[in-house]
Amino acid sequence: HKTVLSALSCPACSRQIPIFPSIPVVAASMSRPPPPFTPQNPTPAPRPGGQSPSSTLPASFSNLQISRAPPPFASVGPPQGDGPVPSSIRGPQAPPPGARPFPGSPSPPGSLFACPAPSVQQSPPFGAPPAAQSLQQQRPPFNGPPPVLPAQVQRAPFGGPPAASQPLPYGGPPAAVSQLAPFGVSPVAAAQSAPLGAPRYSAAQPPQFSGLSGAVSRPSYSGGSIPPFGAARAPSQQGPYGGPPQFGGERPGLQTPLFGAQTAPASQPPPFMGVRGANAPAFGPPGWQGQTRPAASSEFIVKDTGNCSPRLMRCTMNQIPCTGDLLTTSGMPLAIMVQPFALPHPSEEAIQLVDFGEMGPIRCSRCKAYINPFMRFVDQGKIFICNLCGFSNDTPREYLCNLGPDGRRRDADDRPELCRGTVEFIATKEFLVREPMPAVYFFLVDVSMNAIQTGATAAACSAISQSLSDLPEGPRTMVGIATFDSTIHFYSLKRAQQQPLMLIVPDIQDVYTPLQMDLILPVSECRDSLEQLLESIPSMFENNRVADSAFGAAMKAGFLAMKPTGGKLLVFQSVLPSVGTGSLSARETEGRSNISSGDKEAHKLLQPVDKTLKTMALEFAEYQVCVDVFLTTQSYTDVASISVVPSTTGGRVYYYFPFSALSDPAKLFNDLRWNITRPQGLEAVMRVRCSQGLQVQDYSGNFCKRVPTDIDLPAIDSDKTIMVSFKHDDKFQENSECGFQCALLYTTVYGQRRIRVINISLPCTSMLSNLFRCADLEAQFTYVVKQAANGIPSSSLSQVRDQVTSTCINILQSYRQYCASVSSSGQLILPEALKLLPLYTLALTKSIGLRNDGRLDDRSYWVSIVSSVSVSLAVPLVFPRMIALHDLTSRDDEDPLIPNPLTLNSENIQDNGIYLLENGEDGFIHVRNAVNPATLEQIFGFSSLAGAPNLLVLEQFDNVLSRKVNEVVNEIRRQRCSYLRLRLCQKGDPSGDFFRSLLVEDKAPGGLSYVEFLVHVHRQIQSKMT
Amino acid sequence: MSEFLELEARDGVRMTWNVIPGTKQDAASCVVPVSAIYTPLNPNPAIPVLPYAPLRCRICRSILNPFSVADFGSKMWLCPFCFQRNHFPQQYSAVSQSNLPTELYPECCTVEYMATAETGPVSPPVFLFVVDTCMIEEEIGYLKSALAQAVELLPDQSLVGFITFGTYVQVHELGFGLLPKSHVFKGTKEIKKDQILEQMGFLTGKTKPTTGVITGARDGVSAESIARFLLPASECEFILNSLIEELQKDPWPVSADQRASRCTGAALSVAASLLGICVPGSGGRIMAFIGGPSTEGPGSIISKPLSDPIRSHKDLDKGSAPLYNKAVKFYEEIGNQLVHQGHVLDLFACALDQVGVAEMKVAVERTGGIVVLAESFGHSVFKDSLRHIFQSSDSDLGLSFNGIFEINCSKDVKIQGIIGPCTSLEKKGPLSSDTVIGQGNTSAWKMCGLDRKTSLCIVFDMAKKDAPDAIGQSQNNLFYFQFLTYYQHHDGQMRLRSTTISRRWVAGSGSVQELITGFDQEAAAAVMARLVSFKMEAEVDFDPVRWLDRALISLCSKFGDYQKEAPSSFSLSPRLSIFPQFIFNLRRSQFIQVFNNSPDETAYFRMMLNRENVANAVVMIQPSLISYSFQSGPEPVLLDVSAIAGDRILLLDSYFTVVIFHGITIAQWRKAGYQHQEGHEVFAQLLQAPQEEADSIIKERFPVPRLVVCDQYGSQARFLLAKLNPSVTYDSDTPPPPGGDMIFTDDASFQVFMEHLQRLAVQ
Repeated sequence: HKTVLSALSCPACSRQIPIFPSIPVVAASMSRPPPPFTPQNPTPAPRPGGQSPSSTLPASFSNLQISRAPPPFASVGPPQGDGPVPSSIRGPQAPPPGARPFPGSPSPPGSLFACPAPSVQQSPPFGAPPAAQSLQQQRPPFNGPPPVLPAQVQRAPFGGPPAASQPLPYGGPPAAVSQLAPFGVSPVAAAQSAPLGAPRYSAAQPPQFSGLSGAVSRPSYSGGSIPPFGAARAPSQQGPYGGPPQFGGERPGLQTPLFGAQTAPASQPPPFMGVRGANAPAFGPPGWQGQTRPAASSEFIVKDTGNCSPRLMRCTMNQIPCTGDLLTTSGMPLAIMVQPFALPHPSEEAIQLVDFGEMGPIRCSRCKAYINPFMRFVDQGKIFICNLCGFSNDTPREYLCNLGPDGRRRDADDRPELCRGTVEFIATKEFLVREPMPAVYFFLVDVSMNAIQTGATAAACSAISQSLSDLPEGPRTMVGIATFDSTIHFYSLKRAQQQPLMLIVPDIQDVYTPLQMDLILPVSECRDSLEQLLESIPSMFENNRVADSAFGAAMKAGFLAMKPTGGKLLVFQSVLPSVGTGSLSARETEGRSNISSGDKEAHKLLQPVDKTLKTMALEFAEYQVCVDVFLTTQSYTDVASISVVPSTTGGRVYYYFPFSALSDPAKLFNDLRWNITRPQGLEAVMRVRCSQGLQVQDYSGNFCKRVPTDIDLPAIDSDKTIMVSFKHDDKFQENSECGFQCALLYTTVYGQRRIRVINISLPCTSMLSNLFRCADLEAQFTYVVKQAANGIPSSSLSQVRDQVTSTCINILQSYRQYCASVSSSGQLILPEALKLLPLYTLALTKSIGLRNDGRLDDRSYWVSIVSSVSVSLAVPLVFPRMIALHDLTSRDDEDPLIPNPLTLNSENIQDNGIYLLENGEDGFIHVRNAVNPATLEQIFGFSSLAGAPNLLVLEQFDNVLSRKVNEVVNEIRRQRCSYLRLRLCQKGDPSGDFFRSLLVEDKAPGGLSYVEFLVHVHRQIQSKMT
Repeated sequence: MSEFLELEARDGVRMTWNVIPGTKQDAASCVVPVSAIYTPLNPNPAIPVLPYAPLRCRICRSILNPFSVADFGSKMWLCPFCFQRNHFPQQYSAVSQSNLPTELYPECCTVEYMATAETGPVSPPVFLFVVDTCMIEEEIGYLKSALAQAVELLPDQSLVGFITFGTYVQVHELGFGLLPKSHVFKGTKEIKKDQILEQMGFLTGKTKPTTGVITGARDGVSAESIARFLLPASECEFILNSLIEELQKDPWPVSADQRASRCTGAALSVAASLLGICVPGSGGRIMAFIGGPSTEGPGSIISKPLSDPIRSHKDLDKGSAPLYNKAVKFYEEIGNQLVHQGHVLDLFACALDQVGVAEMKVAVERTGGIVVLAESFGHSVFKDSLRHIFQSSDSDLGLSFNGIFEINCSKDVKIQGIIGPCTSLEKKGPLSSDTVIGQGNTSAWKMCGLDRKTSLCIVFDMAKKDAPDAIGQSQNNLFYFQFLTYYQHHDGQMRLRSTTISRRWVAGSGSVQELITGFDQEAAAAVMARLVSFKMEAEVDFDPVRWLDRALISLCSKFGDYQKEAPSSFSLSPRLSIFPQFIFNLRRSQFIQVFNNSPDETAYFRMMLNRENVANAVVMIQPSLISYSFQSGPEPVLLDVSAIAGDRILLLDSYFTVVIFHGITIAQWRKAGYQHQEGHEVFAQLLQAPQEEADSIIKERFPVPRLVVCDQYGSQARFLLAKLNPSVTYDSDTPPPPGGDMIFTDDASFQVFMEHLQRLAVQ
């Protein structure tokens, strides 16, 4: 189920912003066939009040494809201040968080908990299994004023069909809210509301919240014609990454979704991203005047009306505190997560390309900010005022335009840069220090003995070979390849009709390229010979007895070959690099003994061993070489040291441990293919500007930083997120707005230099309660996760865990102290927007990165992914999703593909069940003892687990269950943009124990159960307050 | 004179003094040192090859020889060197006066031993080609065809390796069937053997021993890893041909004002180490084909900008060749390494420019390598020489490897050293003199490469200090010399050639006439040429002309027949009579007058001088001139400008160059085409005769000389004129006769030289 969000611009500039949902549009969509999920879709009743006259609809909106369905609760975002801010200070007017009772939750602890006290009217739990709810429904005994909403009874606070009949009070006056009556529900009500046995998450009605404002619910395009990765849009010249969409789905004849190579294609590629289906509300209702963004994990469609899509840029709080003190008091972080190439929803409008010609994009002459919808034109348009620095600039003559009666430029709607939060500008010469670089792909394959014998080399070669056809078309796409063991083997492919020439560089202390040219060639010239070569490499080195691997030297050599152009260096490495420049040693043995002896310095093993690789990486970055490392290994490889290179050059580590020649080649191929085909930019420089009052404190992510203000990204792609944290250097006026602008100068894979400018403008507030109400849980939590990851290599694990926990406690305590002070001190009161924070925090302390046991490499890998992980994937990485596979057949085809997640609680595990737990990286399939062998046979093709490999290849068999399992898995893969590594976890096996350890709500040897944790948090708050 | 030639034909030895001045004093007063030019592999079909091991003296390790006195009754023999009595072993039990073993026959002074049992398996020769690629396409084309031809001629069983170089060194793996594969080394730095061992995968699966050098199949390098680089010619012919076929100009760009970056030093160093790892101790040669100066890395002789000229003799004299000494040192180290491993460095330097032969000389000469200097790979000097190496014919080189040369001699004789292609093994013993010349301080030398013409100049020192009276001119006034050459014959077998000779010695003032009878003036000229060349290189501020003049004057003073202060009374014995002329020509030769040549050429000439036998050395010093005319058959004429006549054809053989010089009349007739007309067959024959003679010279000689056919007054005529005695110059009182010629020079003519000599000798 999807909800449409229309990113309305800021109220302050309301003059510029049209009012949205239009009747015609609604009508149009009404006539369309019902979406597949009709049963769950309430019939939307256009709310009269919310409509704006169609005449006011900007022309540019009239043909929006996406606005077919009426907004269920088409909430017109009233201008700011239109209605009183629902104050949450007095008490949680709780939305019924408990929409989803959990059967079988542990009985509540004796302590007195208040249920999450949401300050926002009804923020629906984000689609995942917020365990908080489980508490609520057990809450009967507690009389917490923050009452549990009898969700079931009331059809949920949000949007069940009944609600639909009652216009939801988004942005409406508080009165409207009270109508909903979730507030102040008595404990009794809560008790009633414990609908044990009610269908799980699905019980919640699909909330029909529209997006910020003016959202239009969208028709389904899950109808099957939609390619998995959102390439629905055709306009190639406007493609966000400068070319034809590259996602697999578009390629003729290739119906399988990207990850479909191994498994049967999903017959109906479901729409993009997000939790599919109605099991949970896609995101919260617009919290406050359209300032809340939909949850990152939900499915939504964005209509860019001035503020960028939250996919591209998302702030930890949707209102900016006026002062630094206020921010400090809140305990919350202020940061934005920028994912400049985030995949759009297929239905969303493409980012528009603006060409200013010779003149170049209009910029503020003082702060160099780019023109954006929040810049105000005054004095008949002759002057524009920068929204960031406040400077009054003369409008260039060429750009003059009169203002309309509403104060906007008359051409505002025709100029994307004046009406869209995200646009791209064609870069002029002043942005070019050289010709835009070609797209260069250089592959480096480990062929040392181990790599050959484990099949890693063959897998890499096959993956590369298959991916060649995915490289960007055109003469500017170049490839090169080298293999290495204790020496580096280059291949010169430019030998018409001849076999390639193999050139070995034996000096791995002082490497060089054996030829100046002919090592990297246009792919069109050498595809055939490259394919042949790739085919023969595994056999060529079949008898290789060289166990050493010169990873660092090989990278350096590859770099030297690419130095004139820059490009992507894709390294396939299989063992610990043991020789040559940047060789590493097996620190792990040392590390283990230290850890067991409780050495305080153990975390040093998570730091790079020395500066060699870092220095190398900085040089790579300087010459625009991005390194991705595919670690197909069966032993310790010192990921901590290796990952420095990708993380400095805008790449990432892919980790296949323990590598299996049986199951991993498919993942390797899909990872490589996605790496190549995903939207991306090359030789990028990024800078984030913000309004005066704030300043950038730090950037964090995979990049190289040479000057304080900019970050250099040899490559940036749709999966990478950069976190930018801010601090106050001045005060904001109440009711003013704070703007953020991210400008990314990059080269497309087709060689066009562009500037992508992403804008967001948020209102400022001096009310702490507003901050809590508009907090973005996922963004904040992502911040916490990234901070924790940053801390892992430099502090002991217990310190990091304490840090994480205290961050959570501080926030909650601040809320308790300043926003819910009237409550009884015996109650634990959680702000609605952050009610899942304790659960996530607990999960974080038990995550692979922060748990005590576990391999160093696993932890380092975790740290390395976290550094660039997006908001939508950060949460599942820590707080995985568990679904039952064995009863998939009981589900209708109409049901959402992915069943409702189960809470991460062992009580949910039935003895005859098969469960899939996925975190976006791995999929753990847990098979219980009492499973029906027939079920087993249907899914896996074997009826007994004895002797089954730990690493699974999921095949599709000719039965319904198998088909459904494959559909589910493929759908998850699609959502996560990641080919899950499936592992079988059996009871009585270490893998089974590992599975158990992922059930974060359980009490574990190394951590508290969720209930215990809440008690702990509560006590801490109490002690702080007294 | 002819007796010397006979002796040479039998034993390969020419001595300056065949009657030896027996004491130190006598020897010193004789000016020309007592020395021998020995050709170890002197081809002589009469030399018996004995299929057993030699019998050695148990004290001095000398080998049983015709000068050993055998006592058949007691089955004993007396070693002529140390006078030790030795028993004949069991296998000689049948020895008797009538049943002598071959080595005791008086005429068998030179025998070869080939003990099959001892030698073990035959190890095939190794040829490692090291090919420069920094050349214009045209040159590469020539080189390709020459190499392809060479590959065809390679003996099937011989092992072949292939290295190319330019900016980088590429070692081609011939044993890798799937792809053409090569290991690329940076040219800018020296690559040590240990690095090669490690980096080229010779140690795979083994831990490197902490001590000792592991090399060769016997010592831990697996045969497979060797077979990657060195393959029998028969097995790798295809890949070798395709490699040669695909040879391309070095791809690294060179700007117009720069020399190509050519890392000759690194390439040779890699080649040396590769051989050292794969086939240490067995015969192998690095054949380097070089098309220009080394500009990159170790051993570079010149910087890259073309604005810097390559060093000249003047630069070397003034010490203004900054890279020279460093490069020489580098190549010396390579030479030492090769000697240690028993491998040879051959140099084929084909460029208009200098390539650094002067610097590399040390490595080539110490290892006994071949050097060929030509202007282009397309030149016949190179092409035919290369073919000559591999082609088996009557005059083939008989390339042999891994020689060890030892000398035994009577105890009153000591060895100062050897000037020639060998390296001292520093086996210092009672035989080695304190005075050292060339490779000395030893009685054993390494000769990594030797062929049938390789000739060593051994300089002896007379140790006897006794007054002549005290010496009983009694029973034994003979000195014995035994030259032992242990080498790998070109068929792969190890052989030992033993040459034992004896020479009578005299002492005292009355021995002058005896000494004269034993004086070999050709050998003396050759020895003096080697000595003076050596001294020019080894001694700072050495004045060769002065040294030679003094030597000649002293010699003439001692042995000339004259009345004091009466120059006109001066005469020389026929035994000595040509010697002044040799010296005169030597003074004018390329060995002394280096400033006409580049350092590379000088180095080349000297290397050739130092490895050739007496006859060839004499030709180098004093070219032969043959006249062809209608009046008479071919006749040698004086090397004088007066030999030129309009109706003569002259054939000059200066060893490196063969000049056919048509007198002006002959040239006009030829141009008129008379030789094609009937009735002028004699003229055609006259034209043909010197051509045939030249061909026969060219055919036998290695390196192939340059043939210059020229006409009187033509520009090429300088090749002849430069060598002629300037008896008629522009300055002469008498103009040349019609059809004659003159020389534009201020050099003194031979007549003037002799006048001075006579005047000084009689003082």
